[in-house]
Amino acid sequence: MMHPSLRLCSAGRARQPLIHFVGKRQWPSTPEAPHAHPAAPPQVRDHFAEFLKKFKTSRNVSSSPAAGAAKSQGSRSDSVQTFSEFWQAPERLWKHDLEEWEVDIVATGGASRY
Amino acid sequence: MQVHRASPRLVLRRSRHVALLGRWVASRGLATPSEPYDAVVIGAGPGGYVAAIKAAQLGLRTACIEKRDTLGGTCLNVGCIPSKAMLNNSHLFHQTQHDLKRRGIDVSGVALNLPQMLKAKDDAVRGLTKGIETLFKQNKVDWIKGTASFLSPTRLSVALNDGGETEVDAKNVIIATGSDVAPFPGGAIHIDEQQIVSSTGALALQSVPEKMVIIGGGIIGLEMGSVWSRLGAQVTVVEFLGAIGGAGIDEEIAKQFQRILSKQGIKFMLNTKVLSADKRDGKVFIKTEAAKGGQEAELDADVVLVSVGRTPVTNGLGLDKIGVEVDPKGRIVIDDQYNTSVQGVKCIGDVTFGPMLAHKAEEEGIAAAEYIKSGHGHVNYHAIPSVVYTHPEVAWVGKTEQELKAAGVQYKVGKFPFAANSRAKTNLDTEGQVKFLTEKETDRVLGVHIIGPNAGEMVGEATLAIEYGASAEDIARTTHAHPTLSEAFKEAAMAAYQKPIHF
Repeated sequence: MMHPSLRLCSAGRARQPLIHFVGKRQWPSTPEAPHAHPAAPPQVRDHFAEFLKKFKTSRNVSSSPAAGAAKSQGSRSDSVQTFSEFWQAPERLWKHDLEEWEVDIVATGGASRY
Repeated sequence: MQVHRASPRLVLRRSRHVALLGRWVASRGLATPSEPYDAVVIGAGPGGYVAAIKAAQLGLRTACIEKRDTLGGTCLNVGCIPSKAMLNNSHLFHQTQHDLKRRGIDVSGVALNLPQMLKAKDDAVRGLTKGIETLFKQNKVDWIKGTASFLSPTRLSVALNDGGETEVDAKNVIIATGSDVAPFPGGAIHIDEQQIVSSTGALALQSVPEKMVIIGGGIIGLEMGSVWSRLGAQVTVVEFLGAIGGAGIDEEIAKQFQRILSKQGIKFMLNTKVLSADKRDGKVFIKTEAAKGGQEAELDADVVLVSVGRTPVTNGLGLDKIGVEVDPKGRIVIDDQYNTSVQGVKCIGDVTFGPMLAHKAEEEGIAAAEYIKSGHGHVNYHAIPSVVYTHPEVAWVGKTEQELKAAGVQYKVGKFPFAANSRAKTNLDTEGQVKFLTEKETDRVLGVHIIGPNAGEMVGEATLAIEYGASAEDIARTTHAHPTLSEAFKEAAMAAYQKPIHF
């Protein structure tokens, strides 16, 4: 039997493995905050705040959770959004399935209605 | 149309896209069903195709844009895979010629059939690239054959390979355009892929050169040098630095590696700078001088391989149009979530920071897809192994001895030679050693460096150990089958924390 006896364990003489099995990842529901890339050169890491600023102002809307989180932390003006693409709007505003007759109307410039 | 339609859904979507002229007119308040892709990956190398498959597996509607006619990028088409085919088969040829006799196997009439060897390589490449096509279909990834460039962060223009152009909308774009052969510094040497070749040309030489000069003693140069040396070429490696093996190799291992390759017949000129390479009378004449300046020399060769590194590919992407930041080395600047400086545009693999390794790109591909889906991902940059597939193989992960010294870390060294390993003895393949570097205070494994048979497979165990924060004792107390080469790994761990049994 290779397992240490209870007596040894209680005496604190059993070897404690250093290895740490992480197991199945349980990620929180909120996205992580971005940091500098670990392999980035020092000059990039030193200017990460500027990078982050550029990133945050690069586009008003993104579908990524990280961007969503950033948006929710933003100022009040962030909540008033204009969308250049329909899919940037909340999904409930999309119309998912066009009927064939609707497609025909568009394709014929409305002529198929008559 | 060059979109590989993976599902009827795509056909319907595209037909509607055409019917609705592909654009949403906000002012009319129309909401079209022509939804954008959740993720579009540019490039189908190991980073890109893995990212695309993972994204699709996570439920994201995904497309991958690739300009090559086959998937897999440099690695599968002209890199890792074909080179391994040539390394394996040239090793068998060399072993048959020079090693079988002492094992009691007499063979005669051994001859090289280079066209067949090249065909075997091409067959391996074809099988694997076709395999990715199948994986794309299975995972419902749409493959768009063409060259992508940004019109906006969410819209890409694709110049289709068979003519024409299309536009693709994407909520998220992952740039995975990889790297290309770096030109010789200063442009003094022009690669023609016939006599002066890159790694691509070196994998397709139609005859064995009598003399081959390799500029650059990194992984690619040493692997290609081994192939053509085994097939009969006189190979000389010219390296600017004082050691071979490239970045990240432990100095002690690099010296041992050079000794072994020298015994195999490869010549080395270290601390030597190449000035020029001129083609004359069917030969190439290479001028060199000492790296620190001094005496010039001239070498002649039938074929010259330029393997001085690789450079990120960003040309034609239109990064400036959307404001993606690039560093002075041409790498796309990213954060630890693979975000570029533009929201919705991520970047992975050779075209950004970190070692240019296929497996690193693959891990980043998975993490990037997971970040898009959930905002979380994982790549441990301290646990990325490197392998040189020569014989013996060289593999390492974690810190080198010189890095630990420079950082002032108190460390212990544990070594075990393959000459004392029973399986290596029975295989008559005993060159090399396993070297452990552990933190003195905690016994935690900081680096493992292996030179020897099957090192590339063995380093997986070392990578797991580092990933899980194992100590040398953890490994030493783990049963390893007897007789196996992996016992050398266990014994080196024993040597790091106490003493090995068999040495």
